[in-house]
Amino acid sequence: MSRNRQIFLGTCVVLAFVLQISVTPQFKLFGVQLDLILVVAVVVAVQEGPIPGAIIGFAGGMLQDIASPQVMGSSALTKALAAFLAGMMKDFFMTYSILLPVVLVFLATIFEMSMHQGVFVVLGQEQLPPFRIGTIFISSLYNVIAVLVVYPFMRRFKFPVKEESITLTRPSRG
Amino acid sequence: MPAAPRSNRNRIILIVIIIVCVTVVTLYVKESDHGPLHKIQNFFLDLVSPISNAFAKIFRPIKDGVINLFHLPTLSKERADLQKQVAALRKQSIDSKELEKQVDELKRLLHFNEGQAEFETVGAGIVGQSPTNWERLMIINRGASSGVKKYMSVVTDEGLVGRVISAGSRSAVVQLVTDSRSSIGVRDQRSRETGIVEGNNNETIRFTPMKEDADLKVGDIVDTSGLGGTCPPGVAVGKITKVSKPTGLTRVVEVKPFVRFSKLDQVLIVITPEPESTILREAQ
Repeated sequence: MSRNRQIFLGTCVVLAFVLQISVTPQFKLFGVQLDLILVVAVVVAVQEGPIPGAIIGFAGGMLQDIASPQVMGSSALTKALAAFLAGMMKDFFMTYSILLPVVLVFLATIFEMSMHQGVFVVLGQEQLPPFRIGTIFISSLYNVIAVLVVYPFMRRFKFPVKEESITLTRPSRG
Repeated sequence: MPAAPRSNRNRIILIVIIIVCVTVVTLYVKESDHGPLHKIQNFFLDLVSPISNAFAKIFRPIKDGVINLFHLPTLSKERADLQKQVAALRKQSIDSKELEKQVDELKRLLHFNEGQAEFETVGAGIVGQSPTNWERLMIINRGASSGVKKYMSVVTDEGLVGRVISAGSRSAVVQLVTDSRSSIGVRDQRSRETGIVEGNNNETIRFTPMKEDADLKVGDIVDTSGLGGTCPPGVAVGKITKVSKPTGLTRVVEVKPFVRFSKLDQVLIVITPEPESTILREAQ
């Protein structure tokens, strides 16, 4: 991955975080909001592989945890693992069309939300948030709509790695 | 020395991420509200809230426009209903003024003193909302520097909004009554039955009465009971919309809050002297 691409991904995760805390809560669909950070992490996992996806998920999730009133580290863990698994799963699909990130974002959202609930259970939270299949399903569909915009946008900025030029010199005489 | 294979390096990175996350989660859960991780969180909340506020101001008109577009077909009917309500309320207001005078007169005759102190309030603007689907929280632009403390109640002219659960120096986090971890002492205005309303991350909240056979009816107004010491009594919470027959141990009573949380812009924080210690005293 080129240096420019790394800077671009870093900018993307910060932008996703800013939009996540300011814009997405304004546009709830049936009381459910978009998880832009997860969408970006899964798209990175699809384009770059599981580890870059996990790192982006971890960084974005941690930013979200720090700047919002929730258990610190929980979103970082769930988003990193969801993106990592999405990156691992992409090899099972024999397609590179837009369908691939769509399916992976859908599955990753289900996994991430279920795992978040699991974290609450493990932490022994007295009052667990209600686990509703409908909420998870709507959230997955909402994220799928977002990936239709995010994936083509992030694909435009590939920044191919420049190959180092080889200088051929004439062998010295004698 | 040969370089470690790529898959090994990936595995190490993943394990490091998991260990860091689990450590942070554990430390956060174990420490008190004044611990270093909570302090970092409060500091970032203060830092992020102006950005969040600026974006919210930009996007609010767009959001309102979209909402209005959806509500366009029902607007004329709603207007007619509201006009009817205004007429009814005007009549009610005239009647209640008359009653108020009578009550004042009777109080004066009986030398009746309620002994209720007027609560001091601080106005605040909503600058953010919870970025996840697991909580119903809001971030306000007033914090400890304005006298805001944990467990203080947050209200509007429509009714109870929720309770402060964390206060930074210039911002605070409000847990809405609809949040699944929220529970507030209330009473039915008509029958005076007391109970607790609990959030469910939903539009409505659940009212659990103290008495199993409490007299509750659809349309009853529910307000705060004041039990617990942090929330002033008599703040409107909502209207009962559903009373189901008892099934098993409990019966489901649904209350629709008066406050329209999606349209909240400004709130009032009720300043109580030592809300946290009141809660602890009650618990002990």
